[in-house]
Amino acid sequence: MSAAAKRQQQLRERSEYYLRLAAMEDQRRRHPGATTRPALPRGGLFWRFVFVPLYRRVPWHVKERAMHALGMTASGWPEGRRSFGEPWRPPPAAGDGAGPRTTPPP
Amino acid sequence: MTERVLVIGGGGAGTAASTIAKRVNPDLQVTVFTEFEDIAYSPCGIPYVHGREIPQFEDLFLSTVERYVEEGLDMRMETVITDIDLDRRTVTARNMHEGFDKLILCTGFVWEQPDVPGANLEGLHYVKNIRRAMEFDKELDSVKKAVVIGGMWLGVEMSGGFARRGIEVDFIDEGPWLLSELADPDVAEAAQEALEKLGVRVRMGTRLEGFEEADGRVRAVNTSEGELPCDVAVICLHKLPNTALAEAAGIKLGTTGGIVVDDHMRTSADGVWAAGDVIEVPHGLSMLPIRGLTGSHAYSQGRVAGANAAGDDRSYDPVWIPWGFMSGDYTIGGFSIGETLADAMGIPYVVARGVGVSRARYFPGAAKTHVKLLAEPGSLRLIGAQLHGGEGIKERCDFLAFVGKRGATLHDLAWMENIYSPPIGALFEPIQIAAQNGLAEQREREKVAT
Repeated sequence: MSAAAKRQQQLRERSEYYLRLAAMEDQRRRHPGATTRPALPRGGLFWRFVFVPLYRRVPWHVKERAMHALGMTASGWPEGRRSFGEPWRPPPAAGDGAGPRTTPPP
Repeated sequence: MTERVLVIGGGGAGTAASTIAKRVNPDLQVTVFTEFEDIAYSPCGIPYVHGREIPQFEDLFLSTVERYVEEGLDMRMETVITDIDLDRRTVTARNMHEGFDKLILCTGFVWEQPDVPGANLEGLHYVKNIRRAMEFDKELDSVKKAVVIGGMWLGVEMSGGFARRGIEVDFIDEGPWLLSELADPDVAEAAQEALEKLGVRVRMGTRLEGFEEADGRVRAVNTSEGELPCDVAVICLHKLPNTALAEAAGIKLGTTGGIVVDDHMRTSADGVWAAGDVIEVPHGLSMLPIRGLTGSHAYSQGRVAGANAAGDDRSYDPVWIPWGFMSGDYTIGGFSIGETLADAMGIPYVVARGVGVSRARYFPGAAKTHVKLLAEPGSLRLIGAQLHGGEGIKERCDFLAFVGKRGATLHDLAWMENIYSPPIGALFEPIQIAAQNGLAEQREREKVAT
């Protein structure tokens, strides 16, 4: 794994962890009877007090576009192949259950 | 000349890939390598054998090695692949080189190991291999106290199994509520109560700090809340993709650490496919790669990889992840995201809640079914759900994941048709009730706004 890929992986791990921690805090406030204080990590001040508040200020559609532009979303997958609201249709020739065919059988 | 397909891994993905490859093209020579003694069993059933709900481990086997051989597969049991050479198209096993034309990687996962003192002691157990589970099960006959560490569903299932067997159980996890990485607190609360009803001591917000030993064996678990004496400790942290071989071969890994594949399960290397717990696939809502899904995902991915390696042209969709399991005698489940994950990601949503019954309310055994739907503001398109109740949760989660994937809205669900038959379904479907409530709340909000 390249150093850049490793950094990208760590960035995702860290950011997800602290965003989830912050969201759990919000949930705790909404459900005080059903929750307890989590075992908080040592350190992580940058993530908790800088990254999370900044991330939360950006609207979702902007974040979505930014994640796409930064190559954090999956590539090689047909996005929106079935548009929302489009009625269901059976996949073509999926007779043996191995997954839908994308081209007609030979 | 006969083409040769090698499959590394004999779990759900590996068995599916190999059998489908052979079925699609019977002329192929398909070889399966697995480091284990057995194949085609259900590791997900292990907690229930420990809990004596399933009488014996043998019941977990779905097939035999001999049957795969009869189907024309070349089975290499207890054979560890140590190297892949993509240029020479060979793998190395037992210092022998085996050539291939096409390769399918189904190397599965390894458990995250705690980085604390004493993590290598005897008496610490990870749930994976059935033979090891059989040995562990014999040990359990003399175990009085167990500590289960980690808040994913396996920990909950193991705790329930131990409690049913009469073992005193302490369940510890760092999170603020049970299954906090998966479920919202309002959903998890009932699951925790069900586990406590079985006698499990659930200790949330508790960090693992180490293991204490006596004669090289664990005798207690050190936690942020004090020491917990035990005869055995079961570690159920996160599943990590077993990518060592792929990484050494230069195959591209993604941001989750899993192998990057496209919708045909092709990896970055020509003629190499991958499937199961070792890969990452995009979530249908965000297209962000995720990993560590279920056995049914692994099996489906294996089918697609096997068919394509055999020359077919099959694709796999981004996932919407229906999930569900038992906590004690209670069921919780969902699909896609809940409120906590939506908040963490910053995805806007509206919530629709409802409570119905699983059968006609007068029919014996009728149980409450709690439904929470998450929908996109404006379009009211379904983007997630979490449910809990006594029965019918699994089917509802499967249904919601399917209609969510196909773009259903709260309007669709509010007017869905449903079966009314007293022993199996009530007049009002709980999903429909939640959607109706959600729409009513929307109307109220719109009134206030105008």
